[in-house]
Amino acid sequence: MCKSDNIYLPNLATIEAIVDETPDVRTLRLVFQDEQVRENFSFRAGQFAEYSSFGFGESTFCIASAPTRKGYIECCFRSVGRVTESLRRLEVGDTVGVRGPYGNSFPIEEFYGKSLVFIAGGIALPPLRTVIWNCLDLRDKFKDITIVYGARSEADLVYKHELKEWQERGDVRLVKCVDPGGAGPDFDGKVGFVPTVLEEAAPSSENTIALVCGPPIMIKFTLPVLERLGFSDDNIYTTLENRMKCGVGKCGRCNVGNVYVCKDGPVFTARQVKAMSQEF
Amino acid sequence: MPQIITEQNLRNLIDLLVKEAKLVVGPKLSGSVVLYEPLAAGSDLTLDALPRRSSKELFFPICEDILSYKRENGAMKVTDVDRSKFPETVLIGAPPCDAGSPAILDAVMSWDYNDEFYLERRRKSTIVGIACTKGDDACFCRAVGLAPDAEGGSDLFLTPLKDGSYACKAVTDKGQALVAAHQNLFADGAGTEPVPFVDQAVEKLDLVKIKKWLEEHFEDPLWEKIADICVGCGACAFICPACHCFDINDEGSTDDGVRRKHWDACGFAKFTNHASGHNPRDVQNKRYRNRIMHKFKYYDDKFGKTLCTGCGRCIRACPVGIDIAEILETINGKED
Repeated sequence: MCKSDNIYLPNLATIEAIVDETPDVRTLRLVFQDEQVRENFSFRAGQFAEYSSFGFGESTFCIASAPTRKGYIECCFRSVGRVTESLRRLEVGDTVGVRGPYGNSFPIEEFYGKSLVFIAGGIALPPLRTVIWNCLDLRDKFKDITIVYGARSEADLVYKHELKEWQERGDVRLVKCVDPGGAGPDFDGKVGFVPTVLEEAAPSSENTIALVCGPPIMIKFTLPVLERLGFSDDNIYTTLENRMKCGVGKCGRCNVGNVYVCKDGPVFTARQVKAMSQEF
Repeated sequence: MPQIITEQNLRNLIDLLVKEAKLVVGPKLSGSVVLYEPLAAGSDLTLDALPRRSSKELFFPICEDILSYKRENGAMKVTDVDRSKFPETVLIGAPPCDAGSPAILDAVMSWDYNDEFYLERRRKSTIVGIACTKGDDACFCRAVGLAPDAEGGSDLFLTPLKDGSYACKAVTDKGQALVAAHQNLFADGAGTEPVPFVDQAVEKLDLVKIKKWLEEHFEDPLWEKIADICVGCGACAFICPACHCFDINDEGSTDDGVRRKHWDACGFAKFTNHASGHNPRDVQNKRYRNRIMHKFKYYDDKFGKTLCTGCGRCIRACPVGIDIAEILETINGKED
């Protein structure tokens, strides 16, 4: 199947594991059925794929697992539409389609020797989680690693087990937070919005790259904070998510001005984002 | 050496091509409207009106299967579409505003990733274009750099002559081959005077100037002024020879069905709507702005071409009277 010149043909993958991250966010661990595809599938952190649920269609998510972890890929989604709700009905052993990987990626090699600050909100951690694990798997290559992650409530924090793992590692600084009103009695993180918590945590901008992903409102208030902390627009990376169908620059809906998120992105620097037509 | 073909021989050519088992598509009276439809015989060809819809769908159908899937003994199996079965096709009688559109769309269908559904149909088709003498007051091909006698996109180009015959010019090897294979239908000679073209209300526009204005006026009161009345019906996109936006959906059950690619339109509210409910183009004038930007700026930025052939169909079809030629003239006339 992979030999066809039909760009819309997916590879088949089996659901190997399911993790419910929150009441409505789910992770699927997928293993390609074709041995050759399984061995040869490679991607870079930041790339995305089109995942299909047969009978319903395709949805676009990032590849949430790290390229340094071989043999499987993971996607993470909130069930809010026809396709995602149908993906949620699938069980371990069921088949999904996967087209990709598509788009550009984080230039991780350029970050070697620098400190990293990851800033994510809600379900926008998966696009950064692939980078986080990629970098943690190459820990020696980087200086300080800080992760600021927040969600509306404790229940909405995704990858809870991994947050714990990051918290317990001595080589990562995790600052987790929930919006005011979102903390339970035993919550061990901070209460506040991500931009505010980031400003309090005040990571150094010296020789540091910031990687931001979150809802538009979070990005809007986070960029000025980063600026105050001394980050230049060239040292701030984000990944944009727009509605997509083809993933390969033809179907015409993911563009922000003349920039096609699927082909020119999804990874952009803050400088590139600011130069775009403001249509987010 | 110029050649001519009589009207009867043009119809005979269609008869022969049909006998050769080619799919011959041309303007044909279908009920009360002229559409591009398969011609069963030369007598079906109707050259006295611009077809209601463009000939784009010959290469890029309204809806087509891109794969099928079936669960067999518990295992899902995906089967590709056999594109080798796409028929050898001759599009005949397309005016420059239709004949010219595939040459524009080739770029988006073949950058980096090749859409073989489109490209295979392109490879298997020959386009016999015809100079347009039937224009009306919605036509504006000259304004966007085409002309009623523009050969671009045609493999063989016909020019109607006053005596009812057509002057023929083989523009490409494909056109040459079509003539060579049916040489007895063509005669050497220049023929009589051509039938005059219809004058167009819109003069040639400065597309470079328009693009520059668009670049600098993403935010501008013009968008609300011209497009708040847009009802988002998508008619302009569906009859456009150059609009190429599409959607992909499954039809069938979870065990057995097909995946289809089908036309979509940037005028539809849901086109860019995120699953979260957030919509980057949340009001109609932003959607219409995208339509204009895509055609006269973004496509040019990406591919160096204008995504419009000036056929005027969107002007004729718009239920609220939005006139793209008038908008372009307005922008063209702006001082800043």
